Amino acid sequence: MVAFGVFVSILPLFYILLRTFQIGLDELVNSLFRVRTLELVYNSLALTFVVCLTAMTIGTAQAWLSFRSDLAFRRLFQVVAILPLAMPSYVLAYAWLSVSSEVNGFFGSWLVLSISTTPYVFLAVSAAFNRHSGAGEEVARTLGRSQLTVARTITWPAIRNAVFGSGLLVALYTLSDFGAVSLMRFDTFTRAIYNAYRASFDRNAAASLALVLVLLTIILIRIESRSGTLRTTKSSGQYRALQTKLGKWQVGAQVLLISWFVIGVLIPIMSIIYWTVIGQSQSNLGEISRALANTVSYGLAGGLAVAFVGLAVAILVVRYKSKYSVKVEETILITHALPGVVVALSFVFLVNQSVPSLYQTSALVLLAYLALFLPNAVAVLKVPISQVPTGIEEVSRTLGSSQIQTLRRVVIPAAAPGIISATAFVGLTVIKELPATLILRPTGIETLATRLWSATSVSAFSAAAPYALLLVLVAGIPALFVNREIRATQNRSNLVVKEADYSDSEVK
Amino acid sequence: MSEKVKLENVSKSFDGVSVLQNVSFTVADGSLLTILGASGGGKTTLLRLIAGFDSVDSGSITMNGREVSSEALSLPPEKRNVGFVPQDSALFPHLSVSKNIAYGLSHLKSEARAAKVSDLLELIGMGDHKDSLPDTLSGGQRQRVAIARALAPNPDVILLDEPFAALDAQLRSKLREDVRAILRAANATAILVTHDQEEALSIADQVAILREGTVAQIGSPRSIYSQPVDVSLAKFLGDAVVIPGVVASGKVSTQLGDLIPIVAQPEGTKGQVAIRPENLYLQPDPKGLAVVTGRQFFGHDALVEVKTAAGIVKARTSGPISPEVGMPVTVWVRGSVNFYPAG
Repeated sequence: MVAFGVFVSILPLFYILLRTFQIGLDELVNSLFRVRTLELVYNSLALTFVVCLTAMTIGTAQAWLSFRSDLAFRRLFQVVAILPLAMPSYVLAYAWLSVSSEVNGFFGSWLVLSISTTPYVFLAVSAAFNRHSGAGEEVARTLGRSQLTVARTITWPAIRNAVFGSGLLVALYTLSDFGAVSLMRFDTFTRAIYNAYRASFDRNAAASLALVLVLLTIILIRIESRSGTLRTTKSSGQYRALQTKLGKWQVGAQVLLISWFVIGVLIPIMSIIYWTVIGQSQSNLGEISRALANTVSYGLAGGLAVAFVGLAVAILVVRYKSKYSVKVEETILITHALPGVVVALSFVFLVNQSVPSLYQTSALVLLAYLALFLPNAVAVLKVPISQVPTGIEEVSRTLGSSQIQTLRRVVIPAAAPGIISATAFVGLTVIKELPATLILRPTGIETLATRLWSATSVSAFSAAAPYALLLVLVAGIPALFVNREIRATQNRSNLVVKEADYSDSEVK
Repeated sequence: MSEKVKLENVSKSFDGVSVLQNVSFTVADGSLLTILGASGGGKTTLLRLIAGFDSVDSGSITMNGREVSSEALSLPPEKRNVGFVPQDSALFPHLSVSKNIAYGLSHLKSEARAAKVSDLLELIGMGDHKDSLPDTLSGGQRQRVAIARALAPNPDVILLDEPFAALDAQLRSKLREDVRAILRAANATAILVTHDQEEALSIADQVAILREGTVAQIGSPRSIYSQPVDVSLAKFLGDAVVIPGVVASGKVSTQLGDLIPIVAQPEGTKGQVAIRPENLYLQPDPKGLAVVTGRQFFGHDALVEVKTAAGIVKARTSGPISPEVGMPVTVWVRGSVNFYPAG
């Protein structure tokens, strides 16, 4: 099981390396020139940079205002800040496109991806504020330091790692996003790879571009893994942190947060509802319900399959630590930010070369989900498994149960609530997945995501609306609850913050 | 009484660091052995070797006449028929009290199992809680359930790893008596490890003192307390006044007078005498050479500091009639003393 998971996980990377050797350096350089690679690099990096900057600024401001100031309606803003997580980036892109045709290209992509990624920064920085009691600030104030000096010397160091760590995550998310940029018609790597594949089934161009994108991603992951996770002392009990009085800035802060809410949540939701109502008379209920059924089936099958393999890996990694299990985890984590487009194309080409009968089957779609989401599943499943005390396993052994029986009778049942929410988390992530489903699904099978994508591509906004609405209702809103549950479990455990960060995100 | 558990020359090291060396002892059927030692002394390792969580490097462990661990062989825990009660009780969080107790009884038919569980619930006095989940129980209740769960499959020996350490002082002594009674009622053979002298002495049939990975002394609680084999054990097992002395005419001559050694020593032997504070008697005496310099009052008794020719010594006196600070006294030693020849 574990070996199978590892095998599937490394297939895409293996493919890319294989292609690179097959293509050869000369041809690689040629095909990169043919497809305006420099322009794509520039576009991708520019977009990544501005999205990072926006998300880091707004997310940190939201977190500081709602946890460390006397902002009115703080609790409400704490909830509002994570609402955009209910909308996959391509749903948000659809919503804004349907508001105005002016929103597109670089500007549109920047807007939509900033809205989508800001909650990750907000969550990471809020968590840092909560870990850090604020007692340090109070002591510093009594030692005669000004508010500004305290912010610079005490507060900022406490949240710095969270800000930059989540910033890198945002960068990975932006680089690998396919849905939003392609609907916004902004040429980044992911869109170009898809088009190269679509237009001509041009393997070399698509593969060369994928190679460059993967290199960029790996550089980011290297930086991410090197930025160590700061362990701060956990605040004990109900400590009320020092709250900065906003005074005359109160109004300004309210305006800022409310406008962000209007742009990020209110307008998109209103637009989706508006178009749903407008198009009500023409909507094809049979088509919609078929797409819904397919989506739910993929979600269930994908969620169960990925969680099942993930559970095996998580148990191995947490309970049977060895050189071998550490390697297994590292191998799986390497793939944690491979863009969905790249994974999907690797599977198309690999399968066509080796087992053509798998091409365009649901089985292949599930394999791709496994490659895409196994790292997330393992990260989320490790927490409940590691929370089962080893003492109860030992007791179970003395009471006559073997290792395997102990897993079945004690470890898995005791971790069941966490395992169930992890499975739900993976299932919902699968439902929201776009590029792999789009590329690999059997002909004629449509899901909510693919329907939304194709209707929006031809500006059929009212036809697309019910799919957007259903995606928010079926996947987005449940995901908010499941993620909250998972975060709560992680806060109870002593696992490092970094895992909490990316289990929350669906970087693909 | 027959031997239930027997350890012979058991040694264990981790990463080249020796934790246990040549540990040997036996536990008689139906008796309770406490293993007393400072933390880091190898107590828990010893218990884990007996339970089968780790295997011995050399030596052997025999249970009920069957060898369970040696250099060549190590039965897994599930094949050893031992009961285990860890410090934090480690109840299965997803199972009710009665299902926790029934966990090790899956080989029984359901009626037999239910009967056994209800017997044990009665034994630990928790019949009212049979359907409760562990997180609704108090620390003491959890520990009782953990003991019942360990007793359920009739193990050859039940192993308790600091079972009272996580409880507050008052609850601890109450539970200690209860556990002793439960183990006796079940006629169970048990090994309990602890770092608490009072606990080790008060409930054991036999006490083994583990020091730096070896058994320093083993015996009844009374003999361990009154005749420690060396000065450092005397100090470890409670307060002790240690003063130098030399044997002259069959007695040990010290600055607190001529004392009678428990074991006769040759003339002229030099060494140290260890006296328990309760064996010092303070007689109020205006001409006394010693003077009271401090007093810790505990209610039922008091620990009085006295400045004597031998330095400051501590004496335990009855609380209500203990002498005041500043009072001159004469110090007497009651009974025979332990004398440890130097070198």
